[in-house]
This record gives sequence, C-alpha cells and structure tokens, in this order.
Amino acid sequence: MISLSNIRHHPKVETLAAYAAGNLDEARGVVIATHLTLCADCRLAVRDFESLGGACLESVEPAPMNESALASFWTRAGAQERAAGSASKRAANDFALDAAHPLASYLKRGVDAIEWRQVAPGLAQQIIPAEGYRKGVLRLLKINPGVRIPKHSHGDEELTLILRGSYAYEVGDFSPGDLADLDDSVPHSPLATGEEACICLIATSAPLRFKTLVGRVVQPFIGL
Amino acid sequence: MYRALARKMTFQSHSRVPGNAAADEMTALLAKVAADGDRDAFDTLFGFFAPRIKGYLMKIGAAADLADDLAQEAMLRVWRKAKLFDPAKASASTWIFTIARNLRIDAARRAAKPALDPDEPTLLPEHEPLADARIDVAARDERIKAAFAALPPAQYEVVHLHFVEDLTHSEIAERLDLALGTVKSRLRLAFEKIRKDLGDLVE
Ligand SMILES: [Zn+2]
Repeated sequence: MISLSNIRHHPKVETLAAYAAGNLDEARGVVIATHLTLCADCRLAVRDFESLGGACLESVEPAPMNESALASFWTRAGAQERAAGSASKRAANDFALDAAHPLASYLKRGVDAIEWRQVAPGLAQQIIPAEGYRKGVLRLLKINPGVRIPKHSHGDEELTLILRGSYAYEVGDFSPGDLADLDDSVPHSPLATGEEACICLIATSAPLRFKTLVGRVVQPFIGL
Repeated sequence: MYRALARKMTFQSHSRVPGNAAADEMTALLAKVAADGDRDAFDTLFGFFAPRIKGYLMKIGAAADLADDLAQEAMLRVWRKAKLFDPAKASASTWIFTIARNLRIDAARRAAKPALDPDEPTLLPEHEPLADARIDVAARDERIKAAFAALPPAQYEVVHLHFVEDLTHSEIAERLDLALGTVKSRLRLAFEKIRKDLGDLVE
C-alpha cells in the first residue's frame, strides 16, 4: 500500500475545481479520481469545490417544475427501493467516488494483466480510449529502469500519475500517487529511477510534441 | 455598494443566493429524510432544489421537458440515497449538487458509451475516511458560500460559467471573448480568495 505522506506532487487547484465542477474530460477525470483515492488533501479540496458547486446551485435561477412533477415524482419513488443502511465509511467513499470514472472500469484485470506493446527499447505502452462526453486519451506507459523518455513538451492539458516505480526530472522526483500537472511548455525528459519499471497513467487531450529525432521516430509508434 | 450594484447589473436574471438560515434548514430537512424517510420534509426539499436543478440542466442546454424529467430523476436519487447522507460530510446543497452533476455526467456518458456498466465493482483501494472528522462542515460551507457571493463580478461570472454552465476554461474564453490566460487567472484568483477565507478553519 502506498504511504499517503509520500505524495509530493498534486494536481493544480484549477484542475481539482474542474473535476468538482464535472467538466474535465473522461481521461483526466480518471487520473484525478485515482489520485483522490490516495490523497486526503486533494479530497478535501474537491469537497470544498463541491461546496462551491452547491452555492452555485442555490444561486441558479429556478425553472418552475411542471405542475404534475411532484405527484409523478412520488409515483416513481413508490416503485423504487430506498438504499438500506445508514451513513457509513462506504458512504464517505461513495460521496467522493460517485463521479469518479474509476480506473478499474477501464483496467478490468489490473495493472499486472496489462498486455504491453513495446514501442521503443525499454518503453512499452497500452492505450485505452476514454470516450466520455468529453473525449480524452488514457495511456499506460511502462518505462524500464534507467530508460529516459525522449524529450518532449505538451500543453497543460496533460496529467501523469505514477502507479508503480518512480521517475525523475527537473521538477523533482515522482513516486506512486504523485501527479504531474504542470505547465510543461518547457521540453522535459523524465528518467525512470529505482529498481522496478515505472508504470504511469497519462491523460492527454493534446498530442505531445517530441523535440528530438529519436522522439519523432518513436512518436508514430507510441501514437501520441 | 458599487459591488452590489455591479453584481445586480451583471446577474439580474440570477436569484440571490438564499441566506444561510435557508441552507441550514435544507440540511436539517435532508437529515430528517435520511433518518425517517420524512415525506413532508422531502416535499420542501423538492420545492427548493428541483426547480434549481431544472434551471441548472436548462443552462447546459437541456430542453424544458427533459430537464424536468432529469430533475425528478436527480431528486429520486436524493430520495433513494438519503440514508447515505451524512451532515458531518456535507451540507444539503453540496450533496445535492454532486448528485445533479453526476446525473448530468452519467446521462452524457450513457449517450457516448452505452456499454459502460456504472455498477462495475472497483479494483481501486477504498478511500481512507475523509479528514472531515476534523473540520466543521457547516462553518466551512457557510464561508465558501459567503466568499462566493462576495467575489468581484468578473470572478463570480467565470466561476458561475464553470460550475453551472459546465464550460471549460477555453469555452469560457470563447463565450466572454477573453484570452484563455485571463480566464485562468480569474478562476485562480477566485479560488485563492475562497481558500484564503477558509484558512483559519484548516484542521
Ligand atoms: Zn493530492
């Protein structure tokens, strides 16, 4: 299990706000939801933004319901079971995970069952289409120890969450649970550190731009 | 004074944020529904929230009849899940906002990806209990609401477009004919302001 106190890199505040507002694309929603399962600080921030959402909802101009709405509501309600049980630990989870687009529904058999596709020496990946109502691309990248990702840059629409192992670049060291949500107009080239392969989950809505020849040769294979 | 006037000019069509007394009452009513399935309490909640959820859904483009139907659906989720409501975690409007938001996302996802099973068991680790045991939710939500209401009109506007009209940063930029960076910095300023007001409530 990942130790919570080890998380050093978090999503930007406006990314958490967009998640709470419900308008991140599907891929980034999955990555944030996964980070939230590990990070109590960010869960509290999301809770606060949901509270802001509540304040916004209260301020919405009411649109009068149809005359028969309440009667028809009770007819519908009568036909349905109410949830059993009382507020519990599960309820707290439900509250936070309800909107989550959990990674599990995309990764049915877990990280260990991934059928990796080699894209370069020491570099493998798996692409998962995340076609929610706002499309994104979710990819898992496996970087062998000592392997460096070709130098590239991207907009601030990309989120990277470390699931296994670790990597490092100018910004710092990233371990499981750490999330890179950076204005990466500066080209960077992360290096997988540590003994085991680094597995990361990346959500993109914008294609990456590789700066080196190797990167540009690799790019079509990675399908970035 | 100037602020209030500017707010009025920018948001004439928006109703005022109800006072905290009303919000507290809603939370108490929802707790009653949670405890004993009190139908009278629920009728009052329905009267307050259903038209606002309908308004919210119409803001993002649902036709009136569909919005009416979905607002009922959202209130049905409130009714069915009421026992899961925990006033120590959220006020009524916070909780109902998440339900309305999720219903909107689910409806859009169903349309985009009909095969997705929403009840798919998750392989993710269970959430640790929220740190909420150490926070005073009512005080926190009250501060957030007050800070939101006190935002300068330009910041209030982008927050509203983001949370109510479901516009992304770039969609807000397009709508208001602003540079993307301006939208982002307005949102960031608004969020900083709200979070600053919560500063002394941090556990
Ligand atoms: Zn975090």
